[in-house]
Amino acid sequence: MCLTDHFWQFLVPGITLGSLYALIAIGYTLVYGVLQLINFAHSEVFMTGGFAGLFITQALVTTGVTPHGAQSVLYTVAGLLGGAFFGAVVAFLLERVAYRPLRRRNAPRLVYLITAIGASLFLFNLAGKLFGRDRTDIPELYHNGVVFTLFGAQVRVQQLVIIGTALAMMVLLDGVVHRTKLGSGIRAVAQDAQTASLMGVNINRVISQTFVIGGLLGGAAGFLFGTYLNVHYQMGFLPGIKAFAAAVLGGIGNIRGAMLGGLLLGIVESLSQSCMSSQWIDVVAFVVLILVLMFRPTGLLGQRLGRAA
Amino acid sequence: MRRRMIIMAGAPVIAGALALSACSSGGSKGGGGGGGKPTYTIGFQGPLTGPNAQLGINIDWGVKLAVQQANAKGDLPFTLKVKEADDQGDPAKGPTAAQQLIGDSSVIGVVGPTFSGATKAAEPLFTQAGMASVSASATNSSLTDPANGFKTFFRIVPPDSAQGLSAADYMTKVLKVKSVYLIDDKSDYGVGLAGNIKSQLTANGVQVTGDSVAAGTNDYSAVATKVANSGAQAVYYAGYYADAAPLAKALKNTSFTGKAMSDDGTNDPKFIQLGGSASEGWQMTCPCLSATASSDEAAKKFVSDYTALANQPPGTYSPEGYDVTNTFIQVMKPLGSNVTRAKVVDGLRGVDYKGLTKQIKFQPNGEVTEKGIYVYEVKNSQITAIGTVDKLISG
Repeated sequence: MCLTDHFWQFLVPGITLGSLYALIAIGYTLVYGVLQLINFAHSEVFMTGGFAGLFITQALVTTGVTPHGAQSVLYTVAGLLGGAFFGAVVAFLLERVAYRPLRRRNAPRLVYLITAIGASLFLFNLAGKLFGRDRTDIPELYHNGVVFTLFGAQVRVQQLVIIGTALAMMVLLDGVVHRTKLGSGIRAVAQDAQTASLMGVNINRVISQTFVIGGLLGGAAGFLFGTYLNVHYQMGFLPGIKAFAAAVLGGIGNIRGAMLGGLLLGIVESLSQSCMSSQWIDVVAFVVLILVLMFRPTGLLGQRLGRAA
Repeated sequence: MRRRMIIMAGAPVIAGALALSACSSGGSKGGGGGGGKPTYTIGFQGPLTGPNAQLGINIDWGVKLAVQQANAKGDLPFTLKVKEADDQGDPAKGPTAAQQLIGDSSVIGVVGPTFSGATKAAEPLFTQAGMASVSASATNSSLTDPANGFKTFFRIVPPDSAQGLSAADYMTKVLKVKSVYLIDDKSDYGVGLAGNIKSQLTANGVQVTGDSVAAGTNDYSAVATKVANSGAQAVYYAGYYADAAPLAKALKNTSFTGKAMSDDGTNDPKFIQLGGSASEGWQMTCPCLSATASSDEAAKKFVSDYTALANQPPGTYSPEGYDVTNTFIQVMKPLGSNVTRAKVVDGLRGVDYKGLTKQIKFQPNGEVTEKGIYVYEVKNSQITAIGTVDKLISG
């Protein structure tokens, strides 16, 4: 049988990709929570992280030499932090330049959406102009050997790094949202912005912070994605759309839903390829989305962060 | 609204008028400038931007070098110019790029289009305009099928049917594999080539499994897993380097230990640049001569002249682009200051010119008579020539 044969060989890359989708999806879901806006420019925050990580690691790594030991760890962390930082910067600027002026003018919802798409087109074309339109590889930061074999599936260093980092960031975020003052602010604005502002919550600041958090995760995901595949100016498009689908799948506005949706989507995509030709890969993700929305319009976990549910 | 309707109605009329005037005045004596010599333009169509731009750029510099050298020699009865039309290798942009060249009445012939899909889309326009287009690289077999009615199309590379046959025979008789995993990129070129390889492999008694993966796919990990699980002794990728590189990387991360091969679309230094260490050991079949891997004196001179002009070494199909341009010049020279598009087409039918890569002589359907397929391998991050398939099989 196609699914049961080599199940684990397809599951491991599925989880790897899924954890990246989850990281990006959180950015969509957080912003939707506080602004009821699908921030389509988030895919470009992701791309920025990829390029930032690329340039930083290119500067650090001597060409042709694969670093090892402490160096590997150092360079990977540098790329990760750089990707996250520049992702956050772009997300912050995006909110300031594109969305805040609209909020001040009480623009209709549709205008936000069009602005988001416009910002996305602008950013990826700018990146294409500045950095070229070729695919570029992030230099090898460690020797990508097999760490262990899981039911016949080889698990490699890279996969562990990606899954591990993604999980750590998600656990951290979950803690921030549920245990800190910043998190209560975000949740308060998501539940009812007006009441929150009456209670003394600075809405503008919370929204900015939300964008920055989404940007941190998205930028880091961009770097990780770059080490796994490659970096180019349109790298955000498909993962962005899929992560959006993942966010909707889990229940848009719901952070744990986004994590679950991302993982699920990555796994489904990968496993489906054991049965079908690879040309169906992008179709599968959206068929799953449509099926879930047909039977559970609020997504798997419901819209908990936002006002619905 | 009304204005838009006028534009909509007007555009085809204007386009038609332009095409007509281009037909009638084809090869007009251009601006000329000093010296009284007429100026003629050789067009180039291919990708200069986009994901596989390098293949177009390689040919474009070959064209420019040939034109520069011909002008510098000073014995031409005319001055030559080059006009580039960028189609990004995209079939949808092929006709627009072709129209740019056809609309310019000083253009008397075109080197290109570079990619098969764009060629298929652009060729009806060239036929209509009566302008010769000689491709240095479009290898899809069906392009020279008389049923298409591409009357002014020529190419100096053998078609994919020849490459497919040679690639299959090479894998069977030289690599001696019993099973092959065949991947195509869903483009005209990839599907056509994969089909040719598959039928010949099957005829040779080799077991073939396969998959189609659209070009532009980023994540090849699941495909690579399938290749590894299939137990195939070799994998052949029919497509271009921009996708072959991530596939190579993904394959390296699986337990696959067989032979990896690809085609002329991958046979470029960019493949090594993108694929890194994963590209090591890949072999490519190509109907092209690699100038940098050749010890021939003329080829060596070509490499140094090209590098001086382009500021990069010649890549795949650079020598072919150079040859096509020189073939045009060869045909135009006896015509003196009386070059027309129609005369160039006639001239090409009877041409017999010794180029850098091969003796250039066309069959009635536009196919070149000489059909050598070379095999290259990535060794120490360099593309190295192994030899022609015929010789490797017999020797």
